[in-house]
Amino acid sequence: MATETDTGFGQVSRVRGIAFKGISFAASVVGILALAVLLAYVFWDAFGLAEAGTTWYLAYTATLLVPLLGFVAYARTRPTVAAGAFELFGFTLAGGMLTFATIIVFLVIAGPQVWFTYFLTVLAPFLGLYLYGQYDREATWVGLGMLGALVVGPIVGTLALGILGTAAALLGAPGVYFLTLVLPGAGLAAFLAADQFGLSRRRAAAVGAVIPVVAIAGVPVVDQYPAVARSVWFVIVVMFAIPVGYALGNTASQRERWPAFALPVIVIGGFLLGEFVVGALGASQPEPWLDWQFLTAAPSRIAAQAGLYPAIIGSVFLIVLVALFTFVFGVGTALYLEEYAPSSGPLGTATRLINVNISNLAGVPSVVYGLLGLGIFVNIRVDVGPVVYAGLGAGTVLAGALTLSLLILPIVVISAQEAIRSVPDSLRQAAYGMGATRWQTIRSVVIPRSLPGILTGTILALGRAIGETAPLIMIAAADTRYSPPGGLFERLTAMPMQIYTWAFLPQDAFRYGVVAAGVVTLLIVLLSMNSVAILVRNKYQQEAY
Amino acid sequence: MSNEGQTPDLTGDRGFRSVRESTYKYALAGCALLSVLTTVGIIGVLLLDAAEFFTIVPVGEFLTGTEFSPNLEPVAFGVLPLVLGTLLITIGAALIALPVGLLTAIYLSEYASARTRSILKPMLEVLAGVPTVVYGYFALVYITPALNVVIDGVNGALGTQFPTLGLFNGLSASIVVGIMIIPMVSSISEDAMSSVPDSLRQAGYGLGATKFNVSVRVVVPAAVSGIASSFILAVSRAIGETMAVVLAAGPQPPDIPPVQTAFGVIPYMAPGDLLALYSDSAATMTVAMINIAGSDLSGGSTAYKALFAIGLTLFAITLAMNVVSDVVANRYREEYE
Repeated sequence: MATETDTGFGQVSRVRGIAFKGISFAASVVGILALAVLLAYVFWDAFGLAEAGTTWYLAYTATLLVPLLGFVAYARTRPTVAAGAFELFGFTLAGGMLTFATIIVFLVIAGPQVWFTYFLTVLAPFLGLYLYGQYDREATWVGLGMLGALVVGPIVGTLALGILGTAAALLGAPGVYFLTLVLPGAGLAAFLAADQFGLSRRRAAAVGAVIPVVAIAGVPVVDQYPAVARSVWFVIVVMFAIPVGYALGNTASQRERWPAFALPVIVIGGFLLGEFVVGALGASQPEPWLDWQFLTAAPSRIAAQAGLYPAIIGSVFLIVLVALFTFVFGVGTALYLEEYAPSSGPLGTATRLINVNISNLAGVPSVVYGLLGLGIFVNIRVDVGPVVYAGLGAGTVLAGALTLSLLILPIVVISAQEAIRSVPDSLRQAAYGMGATRWQTIRSVVIPRSLPGILTGTILALGRAIGETAPLIMIAAADTRYSPPGGLFERLTAMPMQIYTWAFLPQDAFRYGVVAAGVVTLLIVLLSMNSVAILVRNKYQQEAY
Repeated sequence: MSNEGQTPDLTGDRGFRSVRESTYKYALAGCALLSVLTTVGIIGVLLLDAAEFFTIVPVGEFLTGTEFSPNLEPVAFGVLPLVLGTLLITIGAALIALPVGLLTAIYLSEYASARTRSILKPMLEVLAGVPTVVYGYFALVYITPALNVVIDGVNGALGTQFPTLGLFNGLSASIVVGIMIIPMVSSISEDAMSSVPDSLRQAGYGLGATKFNVSVRVVVPAAVSGIASSFILAVSRAIGETMAVVLAAGPQPPDIPPVQTAFGVIPYMAPGDLLALYSDSAATMTVAMINIAGSDLSGGSTAYKALFAIGLTLFAITLAMNVVSDVVANRYREEYE
């Protein structure tokens, strides 16, 4: 019976094919749509958009949304304009993140004295040797010297902390940041001007001189606002102005990219105009939970006063340390496995085992890494003669950073291996043919070619680390801290930890307000990191030949 | 040294150069050793503390016990309720993610234009990039109330008696874990399907097959090893998932439903009883670990050591699944060219 109604020989059912295509398309978007709805809800709650009146929506649609959509429609068909606009957007974002991270790490966590000491003992010798290496290309000991500076510098710095710290105190915090950030920043700007835009030496020097001049000229202005310290102003001049200035210069130097300048004009102008119109009409505005107060206040039992400040500082502290550890060890491992490790013989088997091991480590649940951290960084006591290792303390910043580093290390290694493998072998052979040693080949051919891929993979892995909660709970990080951690051995808190703690509170003000704001903050940080990763990839893909 | 600038120094400083080369080599090898040390560390830490635990609670009691209450007297350390909770969440998530992920992979590999694919693939990756604690919050705050509205509506319209969901429930946890692992299934399956050579598809069309026939009867069977391996990996990820389940499924392990016997010999659990478990708190192995860690980390207590025993069980299960997935992908791969 069935054969009569079913498609027999020579008959083809179009309906079945179309239905299948429709169903499989629906399946492709169902997850994305579900997440989009959830995100819309959480943004709605975090920004308190329910309170906004129709006038507010109409005002901003007219002043901001419509021009923005118009620009998108215009840029869609013009790839150079779109690329320029994305570059402006991405570098502004990167500059903002860099400024923010620098202020937190140098001003809040380290403080001028510690920073000054390690700048003099580690960073200055390192950079000095690097510059010397660029100048005298025959000096083959420079690389080893840089490595030595990284190993010896911290030890010398720790010993000299007292003396140099006093010197820093005499200089004063603004003086320290002027010497250590503004002046090197000026050098970097001059170098970029000469290297990227082909300016003459004299003009490049003038570009570099602009930075210290602006920094000093701005001091009297900044002094008018007690909220902005002179040190903060110096950081902003260097960390925000250089990337943004670079993006502006890059866009300005290519005529076909000029329309991209419309984007910042539309965004800033539209925002100011919208603000003005809303104020003039007296429209009811949204009541956001995510505001300046939320970002700068400590957690509280009262929803209206609760803030995420200590957790934000903790997360930045954590992610900076994790980035340092994983970049060094991840790239080192990948370089060894791809460039040095033998691929045949008994040692070849060992290499294969290490590779299998790494891919299996990437699949171990994060909570098990938490147990590892608990076992080797927290609850441990090893006596080897006079040396006693009693762990790093329960829930300390260092224990958390090391645990998270071990967690994402396999991901970083795998992505770095892929990037290194994609460097064509002919380039290596060419370098060997010119008499380069293996390390010289790696340093001057393999690393520069694979760096964009490595950086992209590392940033994406860091995005995973910043959202991880379970390992931090396992190593007993603090549920709630009212002040940010000030050192490596202080109890840690982080954004996802705080979200986890708040999410169990039954009050609606927390469930639909404070936690939503925390979630949105975390998502915005993640989104920014991923945009920067994409920017790095696009930027270098264009330059690769 | 400089030979008066007459002949260039082609030999270089051999001794220094070889020192430098081997310094870099061993420094990098030291980095690579770290991954081996991590594995040794994980296994060592888990085995040491779990061994201590098993001297207090026998292995048999741990594996077959039906009660888990590490902190309340009388303490009991049976892992079965936690295994049941894990199974509930994992099966629920797999029921969502495996079909959806497979269909997504078929669509991306066979139907989508290059442009659609370039938009859809990064968006799917976003699903895996959202922090799991955020998924847990979504389940707790948005999905559970929404599901209750739906259940009330269905009960009112059809007169059925579905129970309303508790504050913590297995259903919402399954849904978010399912959404989270879709990209895992879709991206690995799609890679497998894309590597099926075009000649196979052309042969199918040459025989008069439709696109649907080619996709389902040619491409999917040819890529079955990759698809199977993606399924196993996704399930393994669901088993190890922690924060989403902690927030969504809550702290209480499910009660094991009464075992009935069919024909007097075959033991079974009523499907209705099992389905009812989704409406209530369903703690998994990972949730139990977080709860113990949140309550007592002083070390030395039995609950603390139980942490490592559960961790060892979890590690063994996920490791075994990852290895099996690897083996499946390699051994049953259809070799083309």
